[in-house]
Amino acid sequence: MGAYRADDDYDYLFKVVLIGDSGVGKSNLLSRFTRNEFSLESKSTIGVEFATRSIHVDDKVVKAQIWDTAGQERYRAITSAYYRGAVGALLVYDVTRHVTFENVERWLKELRDHTDSNIVIMLVGNKADLRHLRAVSTEDAKAFAEKESTFFMETSALESMNVENAFTEVLSQIYRVVSRKALDAGDDPATLPKGQTINVGGKDDVSAIKKVGCCST
Amino acid sequence: MNGSNTNSRDEDRRKDSSNTTLTSLNQTLRNVQGLLKGRSFPGKVMLTRRTDPLSDSSLRSPDTDRSFSNKHAGTSEWLDDSVEDDIQSKSTPSTNSTGNKSRTSTSSGEDTSKESQKSTIGARATDSARLMKFTKALSGPTVILDKLRELAWSGVPPYLRPTVWRLLLMMPSLWYKGLGMTSAVHCQQGYAPTNSDRREVVLRRKRLEYLDCVAQYYDIPDIQRTDEEITMLRQISVDCPRTVPDVTFFQQAEVQKSLERILYTWAIRHPASGYVQGINDLATPFLVVFLSEFLEGSVDDWTTLDLPPEKISDIEADCYWCLSKLLDGMQDHYTFAQPGIQRLVFKLKELVRRIDEPVSRHIEEQGLEFLQFAFRWFNCLLIREIPFHLVTRLWDTYLAEGDALPDFLVYIFASFLLTWSDKIQKLDFQEMVMFLQHLPTENWNHVELEMVLSRAYMWHTMFKSSPSHFSS
Repeated sequence: MGAYRADDDYDYLFKVVLIGDSGVGKSNLLSRFTRNEFSLESKSTIGVEFATRSIHVDDKVVKAQIWDTAGQERYRAITSAYYRGAVGALLVYDVTRHVTFENVERWLKELRDHTDSNIVIMLVGNKADLRHLRAVSTEDAKAFAEKESTFFMETSALESMNVENAFTEVLSQIYRVVSRKALDAGDDPATLPKGQTINVGGKDDVSAIKKVGCCST
Repeated sequence: MNGSNTNSRDEDRRKDSSNTTLTSLNQTLRNVQGLLKGRSFPGKVMLTRRTDPLSDSSLRSPDTDRSFSNKHAGTSEWLDDSVEDDIQSKSTPSTNSTGNKSRTSTSSGEDTSKESQKSTIGARATDSARLMKFTKALSGPTVILDKLRELAWSGVPPYLRPTVWRLLLMMPSLWYKGLGMTSAVHCQQGYAPTNSDRREVVLRRKRLEYLDCVAQYYDIPDIQRTDEEITMLRQISVDCPRTVPDVTFFQQAEVQKSLERILYTWAIRHPASGYVQGINDLATPFLVVFLSEFLEGSVDDWTTLDLPPEKISDIEADCYWCLSKLLDGMQDHYTFAQPGIQRLVFKLKELVRRIDEPVSRHIEEQGLEFLQFAFRWFNCLLIREIPFHLVTRLWDTYLAEGDALPDFLVYIFASFLLTWSDKIQKLDFQEMVMFLQHLPTENWNHVELEMVLSRAYMWHTMFKSSPSHFSS
């Protein structure tokens, strides 16, 4: 893991989910972001998989706990349990397979049915390196994202293009939402997310936590 | 090996203090470990005597669902033959389990000295003795299935695998139909008196039936498919290229096409579940084993699928029927919300709680759900968790278990998980999830796998007679 090793020294812990059709490259986006690895020979994800990485936003350390989900419909019952408490989502489609873009609408509904309305969503068109095979235009996707008020980015996990940006953008936006709420709540960071977001999988029933008294770095 | 060895010893110590019943079995386990490591060890005596105190209450239960059970406590593929026979001969007087009677005891003073020699020599010597048993079991005019299961449980010699797997998975059910024999009679007798002519007839018919299915369901234009079928075919075609991607043989287009035909045909004929990701993994051991009859060397040496189309079609057919039979017992693992898997994950959690309370407590305290790691284990039957070259050995045991497999999986997976009991207890939630997602099995060999299976067997023998811990 080296430089990417998940560290316990963080200010915020955000739970993020990766969703979208099977084979669009969710797992490779995750491994590119958390381990800087890409594999053309990766296996399908069964159920859910998990990885973390910490980044800096402003002067804070934000740790992302990312749940990568299986794309097949049959797993929806299992995977939707992991949406609970997510404060961010990357909804991924494959720019070379139009059907995966058509299904984005269903994924979005799925997400909104299971998560808090404040969730930060980014639409991600992956495999942008396959220029000659492109089946979804950037304009169409951008228009859709605007209509649905989600963020949008095209990425290539293979070429490591925009992967960092996509995750960083989502985490920064979550950070913004959370710190705005902190102000509203009277600037007591310890109380901020309680009651609105839940279960990171860990014992604590929070998915956006601010650790108190440990932020010397 | 060293790691897992110390591991289980530590476990042993913990259990010793709390449960006297466990003491004797842990001793057995240690003996098995000794034997597995090829040390010469008075294992014969210990194995037999130490299990005795338990035998009346649980080992020798006459209504056992697996008639060969008691003989396997702690035996493994590489265990010396005479040890097996010795346990056998000592247990026979006190047991009324079926299938034992046909065996004759070969234990003698001479065996004892031979045994310690053989244990140090290891696999090879043992192999020839096991080979003879297999050859004997397969050579008669009829094959006694219970006997074959018993042998297969501890591992089938690679070159006999295609034959043995076909018998275990393709013959019994066909037999009922083929001869109009009632299944009750069949089960009572516990064997499939398949003579080889009839076997050929059955195989030929089944292979033709598969060909028909492919023609009817797969080789048709998309316009004749429903939307769901198109979606399913698309999903299968997305998954085939990423099936066992680390083995180059599976990268070939023809192999992936074969896989696609098998999976799609299976899915169409099993609409309650349809194709579910992970079933692609389950077809691969069959493909490799049935291809091994025609391709030289191991799957790592294979480069092309250079076989006549009829051969390929026969192999596909056998894979199809074996896959069907395997999944027949686990249909609800793949239906909506996968209730079968959820049920077994729950059982696993309960069993682990019973076997290893400290690990169980730690996992709970950290808020880790068993579903978060064990789901894939059940969904892909551990194929994703161990090196591919060990998978066929693991499947020998699966197929030998037959209808009892789903419940036995719980024991195998508990044993697998607790291989890392000490390690797990040192990890926090996130470390644990990541550790369990990528278990360090890449250097595993038969020894580690046999250990997992032996221990699973032992726990199954211990706990099956007191299943009350599952009742809640």
